[in-house]
Amino acid sequence: MAYDASRNPRQDVRERMFVPELLRGLAVTTRHFLRNLFGQRDRNASVLNRKGTSLVTTVEYPEERVPYPPGYRGLHRLVPREDGKPRCVACYMCATVCPAQCIYIEAGEYEPADASAESRVIEKFPTTFVIDELRCIVCGLCVEACPKDAIRMDTSKHAPSEYTRQGFVYDIPKLLNGPAVSHPSDPWKRRESSNAPEHQQIEPHARIGDH
Amino acid sequence: MVAIVAAIAVLMGVTYYLAALFPGPAHVPQIIVLMLVFVMVTATLLTIAERKWSAMIQDRVGPNRARIGLPLLRDRSFGGVPHVAADALKMLFKEDFVPRRANSFLFNLAPILAFGPVFALFAIVPVGPSVQLMDRQVSMVIANPDFGLLYLLAIASLAVYGTSLAGWSSNNKLALLGGVRASSQMISYEVALGLSVVGIMIAFTTVQAPAIVDSQAHYLWQLSRNFDFGLPAWGIFLQPTGFLLFFAAAFAETKRTPFDLPEGDSEIIGYFVEYSGMKFGMFMISEFVEVVVLSAVTTLIFFGGYHLPFGEQWLARQPPIAAYPWMLGIILSTVFWIKVIILCWFQLAIRWTFPRFRYDQIQVLGWKMLLPIGLLNIFVTGALVLWDPSLRALALVGLLEIAVVAALTARRRPEEGAPGDRSLEAAAQHSSAHPLPGATRT
Repeated sequence: MAYDASRNPRQDVRERMFVPELLRGLAVTTRHFLRNLFGQRDRNASVLNRKGTSLVTTVEYPEERVPYPPGYRGLHRLVPREDGKPRCVACYMCATVCPAQCIYIEAGEYEPADASAESRVIEKFPTTFVIDELRCIVCGLCVEACPKDAIRMDTSKHAPSEYTRQGFVYDIPKLLNGPAVSHPSDPWKRRESSNAPEHQQIEPHARIGDH
Repeated sequence: MVAIVAAIAVLMGVTYYLAALFPGPAHVPQIIVLMLVFVMVTATLLTIAERKWSAMIQDRVGPNRARIGLPLLRDRSFGGVPHVAADALKMLFKEDFVPRRANSFLFNLAPILAFGPVFALFAIVPVGPSVQLMDRQVSMVIANPDFGLLYLLAIASLAVYGTSLAGWSSNNKLALLGGVRASSQMISYEVALGLSVVGIMIAFTTVQAPAIVDSQAHYLWQLSRNFDFGLPAWGIFLQPTGFLLFFAAAFAETKRTPFDLPEGDSEIIGYFVEYSGMKFGMFMISEFVEVVVLSAVTTLIFFGGYHLPFGEQWLARQPPIAAYPWMLGIILSTVFWIKVIILCWFQLAIRWTFPRFRYDQIQVLGWKMLLPIGLLNIFVTGALVLWDPSLRALALVGLLEIAVVAALTARRRPEEGAPGDRSLEAAAQHSSAHPLPGATRT
C-alpha cells in the first residue's frame, strides 16, 4: 500500500478520470462508518485486547477506566490495622525524607496510666498526620522510607478534585482508608500478652472503599 | 430504524389528512408540514448527525454527554440528540454582537437572505403523489410552476446574496474575502449547475418537477408482466454524467467541505466571522437546509422522486391499497424521505472524506472540467434522444458510463495486488537501469 512517490499520478486513467479514486476514498470511509455503526463495540478497558468488530478505541473515562500498572503511584493512604487505627507510629521518617516537605506530623504518646498501659507495645501514634497533596511531587520516597508499611500509594486514584486549596490538605480521616495490612512481625502479634492499643479510634473517612 | 420509517409514514399521513382538511391554492398545510416540520427537523437532526456520523467515520464515539436530567433518562445518551437542544439554547442565549463600524441593516439582513432562498427551493419538490382523500384531490407539492427547474436555478443563485452581504457588511477583511470567494464560486458553478440539468430536460422534454418525477415511473425494460421489475427510467441511469455534474455543482453551492472556500476555517475564518448567536445559527442551519434540499432535488431529478425502483404498480394493485389509494401515497412519500435521508448521508460522507480544494483548483474544476463535460453531455444526450426517443439508447450509454467507472473503481492496482510490494522491490532492482522506475512502469 505504500505510495510510490516517483509514480506520476497523472498517468493513471483512474486518477485522470477523478471519479473512481473518489469512489475508492468514499468506500474507505463508508467501510469505517458501517463497521462502527453496526459493529459490536467491545468496551474492554485495555484497548489492545478489544475483539469487537467496531473500530472505536475510545475509553470513556469517568465510566470506563484503564487499569493502572501495579507500580502506579496514586494518591497516598495511611494503612490501617485490623482494628481500624493507623499503622503509623509517628517516627517522622516520611516527613524527613519528603523532598517537597509536604508531610506534617504531630506525635502523641499513650498515657502510661492508661488502661492499656500493660500492653504498651506501641508507644507513639500520630495525633495529626497531614499531607499537602498540592505540594506532593508523587516521588514515592515516603513509601520507601516508612519502616512500618504505614503509608502507601496504591489507591490508583489520581487528580483528586476539591473546591478549595484547603481541601487538598489531607488529614487522617481522609488518608486512612483501604484494606488493612498486617505483618507477622507486628509487635501486637508477637507478644502473647499484648492486645491492640486502645487509643482513640479515628473513624475512617467516608471515601474509604468507594474505589 | 423501523421506528423512524414508521414515524415518517405517520407524519406523511397526517400531512395528507391536513391537506385534505384545508384545501386551497395557498397550500398552507403543505408549507407548514413539509417545509417547517420535515425540512427543518431533518436539517436540525443533521447538525447532530454530522457530528455523530463523522465520529463513526473517524472511529470516534462522538458527542454523547448532553443528557436529559430526568430520573429514567439521565443515564442514556440517545445518540447525542439532546445536543441539538443544548446547541440551540446556547445560540439563543449568546450575545448578539454587531461590530461597531458594520452596516447594521445589511448585517442583520444577511442571515435572512441566506436562509430564505434555500427554504424556498423546496417549494417545487413533489414529496408524494397526488391522491384522492376525503373527496378532494390532495397534492404533495407546494407549488407547481410552469418553469419548474428554472425556478430552482433562479432561487439557488439568490442564496449567494446573503453570503456576500454578510461578508461585506461585517466590516472585516477576512469576512469580505469569504464573501468574494463565495460569489465567485457561485458564479462558476451556476453555469455548470444549469448545464447539468439540461440533459434531463431534453430526455424528459419538460422542466416541471412533477412531470419529471412521473417520467421516471415507467420502465425502460420490464422483465415480468405481473410484478413490475426492470430498469426504471431514473435520471441516474439516463444521465450519470449529468448526475455527477449536478451533484458536484450543487455541492459547491452548499459551500460544504470539498468546496468550503468561502468558510475556509483554516486561513480566513469565513464570511460569518463576525456573527454570533442565532444569526450565526441561521447561517449554519441554512447550510444543513441546503443539504436536505439538495438531497430532495437530486432525488427528484435523478432518483425517481417518490417512486419505488420496482414493484410499485404491483403494490398499487394489492386489495387494501387499491381500495384506499391514499395508503399508496403515504408509502411513496415515505420512500421519498428515505431516499432523501440516504442522500443526506452520502453528502455527509463526502464532506468527511475529501480534503478541500485549493482556490485555483475550484475554478479549474468548475470552468475547465465541469463546463466542457456539461456541454458535451448536452450534445450527446440531444443526439441520442433524437436517434431513439424511447430513451433506451440514452440508458445504454448511461449504463456503459456507470460500468466503466465501476470497473475502474473495482479493479485493483497492480502494485497493490502484489503481496509484500513486489513491484517496489522490482523497481528497486531496476532503479539503476531506469532512473525513474515509476514513469517507465505505467
